[in-house]
Amino acid sequence: MSDVKNETATVSVMNQLPDASIVGQSPLFHADLATIAKKGPNTGGVSFKEEALLGHITLRMNADNAEQMSVVEKVLGVALPTQPLTSVSQGDVVVRWISPDEWLITVPGLQAFDIETAFQQNMIGHYQVVNVSGGQTLVTLSGKHAKDVIKKSSPIDLHPSEFPVGKVVTSVFAKSSAVIRRSGEETFELVIRRSFSDYLWLWIQDASREYGLVVEA
Amino acid sequence: MSQKNRLQSGGRIDRSKPLTFTYNGKQFKGFAGDTLASALLANGVDLVGRSFKYSRPRGIVAAGAEEPNAIMQLGATEATQVPNVRATQQELFSGLVAGSTNGWPNVEMDLMGLVGKVGGKMMPPGFYYKTFMYPQSMWETYEKVIRQAAGLGRSPKEYDPDIYDKMNQHCDVMVVGAGPAGLMAALAAARGGARVIIADEQNEFGGSLLSSKETVDGKAGSAWVASVTKELEANENVLVLPRSTVNGYHDHNFLTIHQRMTEHLADRAPNGQVRARYHRVRAKWVVLATGAHERPLVFANNDVPGVMVANAVSTYINRYGVVPGNELVLMTTNDNAYHAALDWHDAGRKVQAIVDTRKNPTGPLVDAARERGITVMAGSAVIDVQGSKRVSGVSVASISEDGSKVTGSVKKLSADTVASSGGWSPVVHLSCHTGSRPVWDDSAIGFVPGKTVQQQLTAGAINGHYTTADALSEGLQAGQDALEKLGLAKAEVALPESAQVSESKAMALYHIPHTKPTSQAPKQFVDYQNDVTAAGIELACREGFESIEHVKRYTAMGFGTDQGKLGNINGMAIAASALNQTIPDTGTTIFRPNYTPITFGAIVGRDCKELFDPERYSAMHKWHLEQGAKFEDVGQWKRPWYFPKAGESMQEALNRECLATRESVGILDASTLGKIDIQGKDAREFLGRVYSNAWAKLPVGKCRYGLMLKEDGMVFDDGVTSCLGENHFLMTTTTGGAAGVLTWLELYHQTEWPELEVYFTSVTDHWATMTISGPNSRKLLEELTDADVSKDNFGFMDWKPMTVAGVPARVFRISFTGELSFEINVQANYGLHVWEKLFEHGAKYNLTPYGTETMHILRAEKGFIIAGQDTDGSVHPYDLGMGWAVSMNKPFSFIGKRGMKREDCVRADRKQLVGLKTVDPNIVLPEGAQGVFDPTAPIPMPMVGHVTSSYWSANLGRSIAMGFVKGGLEKMGEKVYYPLVDGRVVEAEICSPIFLDPKGERQNV
Repeated sequence: MSDVKNETATVSVMNQLPDASIVGQSPLFHADLATIAKKGPNTGGVSFKEEALLGHITLRMNADNAEQMSVVEKVLGVALPTQPLTSVSQGDVVVRWISPDEWLITVPGLQAFDIETAFQQNMIGHYQVVNVSGGQTLVTLSGKHAKDVIKKSSPIDLHPSEFPVGKVVTSVFAKSSAVIRRSGEETFELVIRRSFSDYLWLWIQDASREYGLVVEA
Repeated sequence: MSQKNRLQSGGRIDRSKPLTFTYNGKQFKGFAGDTLASALLANGVDLVGRSFKYSRPRGIVAAGAEEPNAIMQLGATEATQVPNVRATQQELFSGLVAGSTNGWPNVEMDLMGLVGKVGGKMMPPGFYYKTFMYPQSMWETYEKVIRQAAGLGRSPKEYDPDIYDKMNQHCDVMVVGAGPAGLMAALAAARGGARVIIADEQNEFGGSLLSSKETVDGKAGSAWVASVTKELEANENVLVLPRSTVNGYHDHNFLTIHQRMTEHLADRAPNGQVRARYHRVRAKWVVLATGAHERPLVFANNDVPGVMVANAVSTYINRYGVVPGNELVLMTTNDNAYHAALDWHDAGRKVQAIVDTRKNPTGPLVDAARERGITVMAGSAVIDVQGSKRVSGVSVASISEDGSKVTGSVKKLSADTVASSGGWSPVVHLSCHTGSRPVWDDSAIGFVPGKTVQQQLTAGAINGHYTTADALSEGLQAGQDALEKLGLAKAEVALPESAQVSESKAMALYHIPHTKPTSQAPKQFVDYQNDVTAAGIELACREGFESIEHVKRYTAMGFGTDQGKLGNINGMAIAASALNQTIPDTGTTIFRPNYTPITFGAIVGRDCKELFDPERYSAMHKWHLEQGAKFEDVGQWKRPWYFPKAGESMQEALNRECLATRESVGILDASTLGKIDIQGKDAREFLGRVYSNAWAKLPVGKCRYGLMLKEDGMVFDDGVTSCLGENHFLMTTTTGGAAGVLTWLELYHQTEWPELEVYFTSVTDHWATMTISGPNSRKLLEELTDADVSKDNFGFMDWKPMTVAGVPARVFRISFTGELSFEINVQANYGLHVWEKLFEHGAKYNLTPYGTETMHILRAEKGFIIAGQDTDGSVHPYDLGMGWAVSMNKPFSFIGKRGMKREDCVRADRKQLVGLKTVDPNIVLPEGAQGVFDPTAPIPMPMVGHVTSSYWSANLGRSIAMGFVKGGLEKMGEKVYYPLVDGRVVEAEICSPIFLDPKGERQNV
């Protein structure tokens, strides 16, 4: 049991991961993407990949609080993006602006608890850090027609002048929602909710059909 | 040669690609590049349908979207049937199968024709109201006959095998129409760096240039079109959409486009391609370059096949290499229509005469006709047409200068084709969709767009400026204007040269007089599709209909699938004349989307079948599927309903699940319950304000049940909230209420109590939740954890962190069954692992999975409510007998406190939730059954409340129920009666809703 018991803690934080012998099952585990990837095809207009089992952390705080901002920068190694609809990244850490007082941080899965702990030990004032790693997953759509698949699914404007690399929006995606970030000219990251992931996987396969879908594992 | 009307050369068809198609069961040949209409005309097919009221033979009159008659049923198979396709817009493909939709039993020999001759007189305008609205009960019968006679096609009886989808688009400039004006606008906007979408309903760009012999920049119009189109296609910021009808222009420059992707290729979309795509466009600026439709003239027997609009004649000759007849008479009010006669003559067929309604037509086009030896009969009109299935001749007479009456003797000419032109009607439809009213322009003799209400520009014929030169210059101007509005620099675009042919003044004339008054003259059709005549409109006006909207509804003018594109302006002019007022005083009817009909498939897109609505799954869903669970929809979640074993009925499965849980241990997937992580120093205070009970003293490590009320004091959700840390809580909500509760919390925090330091984050999907319940649940848990879960160390309503099956977990000792229960929460990525481990160890305890139905039964045995089933927004905690969950002594008020004190909320005879035991224990009351105190009371009996929950309880060996009864909490032991639909009256005793273990001894172990 790796539960942290900080006597002064007013918030309960625990390491939610078992030891490595127990394999986590990401929201798209049941789709067996590895087998699909092996079968091919290897070329097509859209590539799909699940970045399974990342650490997802929701941070809520006041961006006008300079002291809090400096603690965040110390903990994450990057300053929070305060410009709406933007993101910052540093190595494996990506921070997405979600709303004026909310950010989504993704990190390699094993680091989530360290970051939670670091916040608990260093953060001051009113804030909330919540590990939401089990509730969502990150998938990437890339390739020449990735943007067309998103255009079928979401009303946002993807033209580079409106949606440059690094931009983030939380928007409608089919009849669900997604946090969409452009991570490259032709690459988009979608953070989707676990319970909707099967529906969205079906939707993306369908919307990609005319372009040819490549599944990467 | 089978295509008797096909020219040897010319046109935009590909004679090297012959295509075979079937029309009304007969095979015909056409060429690639044909429309179904041009191919039919090439083959000399004159008759394409029968009219709605009078069953008169009808032919093709136009060449585009405005066609009223050639409305086809398409489809080679049942599944691919498409109704109401305009033959003028359907490209020909090999194997196309079409049939006329009207004409019963067929267009050549038509039974309705006999009926029509009688029925016509029985169908004056307003027949809809005069005849069919009475008696109402007969409407369905009338409707069937009318539909069959009316030429409305039929929908397929099988599933559509094709797929349709939608795409969202954004642009700086949306150009509607790719004729000379639209192409120039798009070219300028694109060169200036704007993001452009240009859409045109036709298969090729070019608009009017495709149907004329005009030159642009010294080359053939089509060559200029090709060069511009090529440049646009090469620009990555331009989306070029042929075969795409902009069907609607909505608020905020939102437009909808219906793109036909494969309908020109085959009956069914090849290789699973998308058949049609619906584009949803958000444009900063819109350029409408929608052109104009030629307006036919209204004259006697103007519906005989062979009567066409003049420009359609030119289009068929120049674009399709088809001359749709041998002897032409052209009637015109303007110079422009002379092109039709010139084209006809130049194609080598005979022009009998040009009948010009003007006294003294002059100008280059008139000269050109005379030079060719064509007779021009000035100051005259075609006042009548001979022939039934095809024009055989016309009656021509001179008319007064204002065109109001016949002044000379009637002369007969032989002809098989009559072309007519009353000028042009700008296509203002889209402009009007926005709410902008069109205005009358005397020089254009048509309605042009009025004051725009959107970011909209217009160019070309839509403005009533009909020449190619005007279209090019206005298109360029619109493109440059759009750039300026967008803050972009002007583009370098030269205005192409076009031959400016001067035209003399056109005459404003719509309705050609006859020697007899309109009411006695042969029928003069205004709206072909609905058989509306000039006489009918005059009658409507005489009967007192003065508003054009009333005239429309009384006569049905413009109600067809063509929406009156050809006839409406003529109808308005005739109404204006009958009412002795001007056309602008009369006004137009309202234009509404869609511009042309759109298939349901395109509206639905991919939101059908398995993609119709999201299905939400828990982390253990795969296991449930493998175990053969039956599922229940709860919101969008698929929750296991029950887990039948082979051969078991639903009730047998429920009985087994209920007994196993109370006797040993059962397990429920509770992952779908809403979960909200709440943090902040004021979290506790906030809870106290949104729940009806007290939260100030809940210690860390404890859980508490709470009721959430709306301002009116009525229960809207409930759940258990646990204190994880001094400033940290985990709230649970009902499955269906999760999103609503989070919104509710944020709403109150942001609008009422922003000073409270508290944050909320949904963790519903993050935690997989499994509840083991029953006397053996502790033993099972002990096998999977090192933690001390004994009664003394882990009491009822406590929670603890511990490791379960190797996975860190939060375990809550809460119970919705009344049994000893442990709710195990682990990160969802490990949910299935823990679930499976529980089953590995649970086999010896007969661990039994149960679903929502057993959950409902077990909680009902304990009298626990389900918000949304036992509440309906009209009950407060005291109505539920749950006053124990209300704390009136909190320092700050809570939501609903005042509401509950309203006079009506404290009445003694309010409907209150009680238990119900049927006197016959084997009868399970239907949920929703209404109770009465006196079953002998006369109908309508005073009703005293309904049954909310009702089940067979295997544990109790009898039925149990909960329900509302007026003043029920004071009526314990009294009887209430439930008269059922089948005539039975079920007697029940009012009792406590806690049927099992009232002291709670089973859970406190």
